[in-house]
Amino acid sequence: MKSTWRITALVLAIATTALAAVAGTASAAPAAGTSASATTIRIWADGNRKAAVERVAGAWARSRGVTVEVVLKEFGDIRTNLSTVTADAAPDVIVGAHDWTGELAAGGLVVPLTPRKTATAAFPKYTLDSFSYGTGVKRLYGTPVAVENIGLVVNTKLAHVPTSFADLEKQALAFKKKKSGNLALAVPQGANGDAYHMYPLFSGLGGYVFGTTARGTLNPKDVGVANKRFLANAPLIDKWNKEGLINSKVDYDTAKNAFLKKQAAFWITGPWESNSLADSGLKYKIVQLPRIKYRSAPFLGVQGFMVTKFAAGHGVSSLAKDLVGSYMMGTGAQVTLAAANGRYPANINAGRRVTDAVLKQFGAASAGGVPMPNIPQMASVWSELGGAWVKSTKGSGATPAKRSFSVAARNISNKIG
Amino acid sequence: MSTSAVRTEPPAAAPDIQWGMPSRLIASFSGTAGLVVKLVLLAILNSIAVWAGIILARDDKWIALVVLAAATIAIDLVYLSKRAGAVPLKFLIPGTVFLIAFTVLPILYTINVAFQEYAVGHIITKGEAVKAIEENSLAQPDDGKTYVMAPANDSSGKLVLVLVEDQSGKAFVGTPDGLEPLASDKVKVDDVGLITGAEGYTVLKGQALVDADTALANYLIPLGNGSAIHAEGLDTALELRPTLRYDESANTFTRLKDNVAFKDNGRGSFVAANGEELEPGWRTYKGTANFTSIATDPLIRKPFLRVLAWTFAYATVAVLGSFFIGLFLAIALDKPGLRFSKVYRGLIFIPFAIPGFIVLLVWAGLLNDDFGVVNQVLHLHVPWLFDPWWAKVSVILVSIWMSVPYFFLVSLGSLQSIPNELVEAARVDGAGAWQVFRKITLPLLLVAVTPLLIASFAFNFNDFGKIYLLTGGGPQAEDQSVAGSTDILISYTYKLAFAAGKGTDYGLAAALSLVIFIIVGGISAAAFWRSRSLEEMR
Repeated sequence: MKSTWRITALVLAIATTALAAVAGTASAAPAAGTSASATTIRIWADGNRKAAVERVAGAWARSRGVTVEVVLKEFGDIRTNLSTVTADAAPDVIVGAHDWTGELAAGGLVVPLTPRKTATAAFPKYTLDSFSYGTGVKRLYGTPVAVENIGLVVNTKLAHVPTSFADLEKQALAFKKKKSGNLALAVPQGANGDAYHMYPLFSGLGGYVFGTTARGTLNPKDVGVANKRFLANAPLIDKWNKEGLINSKVDYDTAKNAFLKKQAAFWITGPWESNSLADSGLKYKIVQLPRIKYRSAPFLGVQGFMVTKFAAGHGVSSLAKDLVGSYMMGTGAQVTLAAANGRYPANINAGRRVTDAVLKQFGAASAGGVPMPNIPQMASVWSELGGAWVKSTKGSGATPAKRSFSVAARNISNKIG
Repeated sequence: MSTSAVRTEPPAAAPDIQWGMPSRLIASFSGTAGLVVKLVLLAILNSIAVWAGIILARDDKWIALVVLAAATIAIDLVYLSKRAGAVPLKFLIPGTVFLIAFTVLPILYTINVAFQEYAVGHIITKGEAVKAIEENSLAQPDDGKTYVMAPANDSSGKLVLVLVEDQSGKAFVGTPDGLEPLASDKVKVDDVGLITGAEGYTVLKGQALVDADTALANYLIPLGNGSAIHAEGLDTALELRPTLRYDESANTFTRLKDNVAFKDNGRGSFVAANGEELEPGWRTYKGTANFTSIATDPLIRKPFLRVLAWTFAYATVAVLGSFFIGLFLAIALDKPGLRFSKVYRGLIFIPFAIPGFIVLLVWAGLLNDDFGVVNQVLHLHVPWLFDPWWAKVSVILVSIWMSVPYFFLVSLGSLQSIPNELVEAARVDGAGAWQVFRKITLPLLLVAVTPLLIASFAFNFNDFGKIYLLTGGGPQAEDQSVAGSTDILISYTYKLAFAAGKGTDYGLAAALSLVIFIIVGGISAAAFWRSRSLEEMR
């Protein structure tokens, strides 16, 4: 009996040690490897950009004698995971959208950059502003890389490029009447609304989301969803609803299919549909939505790279700033990174190299655009603003726009608190 | 014929016992082979524990390490023990481990978070927040200078910064003591303007530069006017001036231009007297504030009862509706000798076999009131998803569509387990079909099905996915509040905790989840307690 016990204990001890040793070396190997051979910069990037980031950051890393590890992440997960990741697994650099800036900076998760003025001079001011944040001192938290915005896509076989909003309205309604199933203006909403695609109509009527403070930062106390100018023009929405120019029951796929199947002559969409437009074989032109009462400016989205607070803990903060705040601002890096997911580069010199006609037209449609607010309070806005459009454009039984937008403005202010 | 055949089939009793696969598998754990298998499994477990222990020790998690060691030794002893008393433990331990890991720990974690300020702007520790506030508050003075920089070692090996000012082209050497001019001809600059060498200094390159990273990031050259030169990256340095000063003993930030003091408010922020707040804040405990805000915040309080009432109505109607329809179908198809009964059963089962989120997205499309198939085929104009009341109807209908197959299967099985003699005896006593169903079938069925009804109710009560994918909680309700007309408690919680204020608020979300947990737990406990009276009938 006793001997069995001893043998058992011995076998167990040996097996445990052996397995633990195997596990230990397996987990320790990469750590040991990196500390001995080279410092590693870890970058979180999405599937579209991973290869381009590897190429651009790889070239930089070779010149600096370090290595780069690009970790594949869902784009949206990069934002949420950054606040829950452990320091060990955390990235030094992330790719992100400019409207995350407020949330990440207010959380202390990304660090400010101060690139040389000679470098920033090559960027339109709005691209830098959109990555800037600060309730006290406004600082830059990211290097803009690519810009995107929506535009009005016109099927030039079915209609001509509208010269005014009235012209658009006339053509669209005439086209809708031609055949049942036709849409007038294919702009997506759906049951929960789509404040992003409706924004050109919203700004064209005089609406805005947040005003600015004297210091030039966005002011969450100044909500312009139901400002006087807009409310004065809001009855136009009721008119559009009545005549069927816009219809909240059109969701993203309905709008897209209608345009691609020639059941709509006008579609509001962005460069992410470049491929489906190219494959459609349709003849089309992309312009800015014609001015309504004011310029029908779209929201501008900017994507770029940020340095996280974890870089300092990993002992690579100067390296990361060199990569993001200097190298990635260069023309060559910008061309590669923006092309990775088919967007227009933020750098003006890189933009000159763009030859793609569709991207150029979307670029022209961005004139006077408004960067999506990057302060975290924007979280309180999206569903309410989209919902106000839905309520006032759902056909019969719709709420008058004046009322639905006033209610939305009140809810937004309450939610921001 | 087929169903009755199943019922009367005698148990397969053969003279030579043919052990089944499971029994043979279990039997293989006895004897020498079993001992080896056991030892290997325990060795794997122990080595995982050793590996986890190393990580815990490295991170200074000593309490967790003690718990881990004790648990591992206890498991080893139990499985190596030959005492009969250890046998029940051998079966209990795996279940207990999983219960602790996947149920108890998450609940404890949620309770812990519910008492914290843990939201956008309150993620990092206080020390990190102070450092970030200091860094974020640095401003570039209007006349601030920018330099081309090269980190270098002086003759004694100390880190200095060789600087060439952008506009004047003047060269300097910066140390923590200040800025010293350097003759321009002593600095070598390449064709793109980068410093490649400086007389009397060794410019850092390659690995030496990489190794100096942290020292460089924290390097400050004071300028005497309140500003300091900071390194920005690896070849640029610039002048930055603090706008806030932290006094550690007073635990207060002071704004330099107007001496406004920002004091620690005890809830993870430095706040001025006028309410102005410094960002970022930090994650901290703040007592019961999350719970009191559920009771006092009008945003939550106002629609709470309406949402609660709808949640109950939805869960009740959806469960009872799908149960009775499922039961009806089961009774209808439980006729012995019914032709194609397998085909019918297969067809009824289809909704259950399709992944739920696909079903929901498809239904959201089908119910679109201008372009959806339902309205087009039926030539209707019902605003299925755009009217507050019709949206409620849609949610319930889709929910029933999805769970009828489940209750069909459950009812079919339970019906077949009700002894035929009882029904026949009732018939002989002169009971009609309805009476038999009402007095015999249903009560006996409920004994088996009630726990499932309760579980299904609890599931529907918290079925976030169904609401989120079908209506997103919308359309907006008549009271115009943040809660949509089909929002149930959990989806409303999501809106409050992830789409209000500055975005994500984990603390509030945890507090609301606990409230929902208590409601659902209470209802389930009460229902199970009542259902015990059903069981006594048997």
